[in-house]
Amino acid sequence: MTEQNKSLLTPEAVGAAQTRISRLVAGLRQVLLGKEETIDEVVAALLAHGHVLLEGLPGLGKTELVKALSRLLSLDFRRIQFTPDLLPTDITGSHILQERDGRKDFVFHPGPVFTNLLLADEINRASPKTQAALLEAMQERRVTTFGETRALPNPFFVLATQNPIELEGTYPLPEAQLDRFTFKVEISGVERSVLEEILVTRIHGVPPALEPVINAIELQELFTLVDAVFLPRAVANYIARLVAATHPKSPEAPEHVRTFVKYGSSPRGAIAIGAAARGLALLRGKPNVGFDEVRRIAAPALAHRLVLDYSAKLEGYDERRIVAALLDDVSEVERGLPQTLEAR
Amino acid sequence: MNSLPVPVASMLRRLRRRLVIGVFLDIWPRWALGSLLSAGVVAISCRLLIPDAASILNWLWLAPVLASIPAVALTASRAYRPDQIAALADSINGGEGTLLAVLEVQDPAWVNSRAITDFSQFSLPRLRVWRKLGALAPAVAFLAIALMMPQRIPAASNGVLANDIAADLQAALNELKKQDVITPNEDKEFQEEIERIRKDATEKLDSSSWEASDAMREKFAAKVAEKQDAMKWAADSLSNFAASGDSDASLTKEQAGELGTAIDKLSQAGLLANAPDDLKKLLGGKDAIAGGKTQLPKDAASLRKLAASLSKYLSGRSGELAAISKLGKEAGRFDPTEFPLFSNEPGPDGDGEPGSGGINRGRGDADLTWGRESAMIDKFKSVPLPPGSFRSPDDWSPLAVLPGAPKESPELSITSSGVQYAGVTGQAAVRRTLAPRHYSAVKKYFENSK
Repeated sequence: MTEQNKSLLTPEAVGAAQTRISRLVAGLRQVLLGKEETIDEVVAALLAHGHVLLEGLPGLGKTELVKALSRLLSLDFRRIQFTPDLLPTDITGSHILQERDGRKDFVFHPGPVFTNLLLADEINRASPKTQAALLEAMQERRVTTFGETRALPNPFFVLATQNPIELEGTYPLPEAQLDRFTFKVEISGVERSVLEEILVTRIHGVPPALEPVINAIELQELFTLVDAVFLPRAVANYIARLVAATHPKSPEAPEHVRTFVKYGSSPRGAIAIGAAARGLALLRGKPNVGFDEVRRIAAPALAHRLVLDYSAKLEGYDERRIVAALLDDVSEVERGLPQTLEAR
Repeated sequence: MNSLPVPVASMLRRLRRRLVIGVFLDIWPRWALGSLLSAGVVAISCRLLIPDAASILNWLWLAPVLASIPAVALTASRAYRPDQIAALADSINGGEGTLLAVLEVQDPAWVNSRAITDFSQFSLPRLRVWRKLGALAPAVAFLAIALMMPQRIPAASNGVLANDIAADLQAALNELKKQDVITPNEDKEFQEEIERIRKDATEKLDSSSWEASDAMREKFAAKVAEKQDAMKWAADSLSNFAASGDSDASLTKEQAGELGTAIDKLSQAGLLANAPDDLKKLLGGKDAIAGGKTQLPKDAASLRKLAASLSKYLSGRSGELAAISKLGKEAGRFDPTEFPLFSNEPGPDGDGEPGSGGINRGRGDADLTWGRESAMIDKFKSVPLPPGSFRSPDDWSPLAVLPGAPKESPELSITSSGVQYAGVTGQAAVRRTLAPRHYSAVKKYFENSK
């Protein structure tokens, strides 16, 4: 157990980190036009060592975003196109009988999971058995085959994509696997002005060529700085109350949660918010996490961890709407203003 | 907070003060409301039950002030901690968290950053006083109305009035006793009667109490009138006796007898109890006077002496009794002469004579008129009734003799249904009335009778 430092990052360190992160963000914004919020969320999750599930309609740039990220970070990048006949060993790798020095032996051939940045494209098309092959890799960053456990490269990120509208031949991700994603980022459609910009600036929609802006050492330093971002106790209390309020049986749960939520978020949700909020704070050039960062990332960090009741669908509620209601109902400070006072 | 810039620390102190006021205004109105309602209830109770408290009821307006004492204590116990104040300030000012971090870590590196200096200008929460104090308005109105209620003065107790009535009667009785008008037995009787009236009036004071008092005064007046009559009789007898002094002896003896009876009456009325000794001696002594069996002297000289002495004594007493007789008209006794309607003088609505018009009930002593009535001589004329007699069972005579035997009216004759049906259906109807198990018994009976 490591406790956070009782000191703040220096303004110089924060400034340098923000500059590096800004280069990364700027590069991503060249690729994915008009998706500033999505890019901020993905970067915050990466700075928090988190995995991201990108959900959106085809052609919105999910795969391009991940590919651009790999180029900008100069990280090893692999892509797995998930299909129904994909096997777990197609991901983790397998032992193949080979003859060496006159004797036959099983030699491990690592799968595509042994990389820094893994793009699991259309992850919901693979069978649950294959999806489960990613569980250990995502949580413990290691792979066990034939009783042998192998560590994955550091850093290791999984950026998965899934199409929300296709149900035929898909296998929705189980809650346990969803829980391992730090963020579920929903990529919405592009605006008309963005489409116009794409048409003007790109031939055949090919994004501009990108050069690495952060090398492995710098990225490691960034990770260190993100971990040093200070989380005030009042903000930690807010995160804890927010996550606790997602449980319908909690006394702090608001009416919407009691009515529509079947199961609330796991502690991973709170951890994910804390870690990603640190990354977002550094992205914003702050030495600490504030209430604002928590509110900003609560939806992508919590929405996919809620299991809604059937009545929520009947009433037109989805996970994001529940989280929005939660943010309205749970006050930032545990003891709010007296009733006689009103914030302007 | 010492590490913060002065303007930021000043703003945080202002926020702290405002929070204290807010907490106080969250607590105090409930206490003030309760105290005002309680004060209102107390005011109403005092207005109804405790007249002596009327002068201090206005102090009840201090109830909300007193209620502020526990409110202040609760405010102190619920005061915001510095970290809570900082969290509120940070949340109000955008929720960047830098202030929280700086205060928690005490790192001076970020003290002068924009994120911190912004706190020198952030908007303090607005105080909405009337939101809470508005609820007090009905309670204030309640207390004001309670204090404006008229003070209820309880009616004087029956005992006071009863004692007044008894005291008046006792004063009249004392006056009678002072004048030696009543005997000890009468005095005892009157005392008991006055005490009874007082007790009755104490238990229940109403018109009957005053009526009893008036009746008592009438008794006094009657007693005085009785004694006046006795004195008048004695005076008349004395004058008759004196006038018969020159007449024949038999007449004088008769007058003397009447005088003796009148003197006996005087002694029985107690009017001779304080007579001069020589008069008592002439009448046979104190014992004879007390027993009401006086004896007149036999000789004429003594009789004349007795007449002179008694005449002198009675002339003095009659003046006293005349003054005493006014007692019956004092102290609330109804006097018709005070009211013109009941007087003999013509009122504004007529002269009081029956049938003379006007809106009045006529004179109280007028004869009752029932319209055309019989003359008094015919009113109760007896009319003898014919002598009564008892009717004997043998005392009868036929009213009429009809030719031939009486005919039976078929529709009025009562026949059994069995006989009616027998003529039509043989014995079927009769049999129908018999229970089957009786058939054999009935059959045997008729067979045997044949």
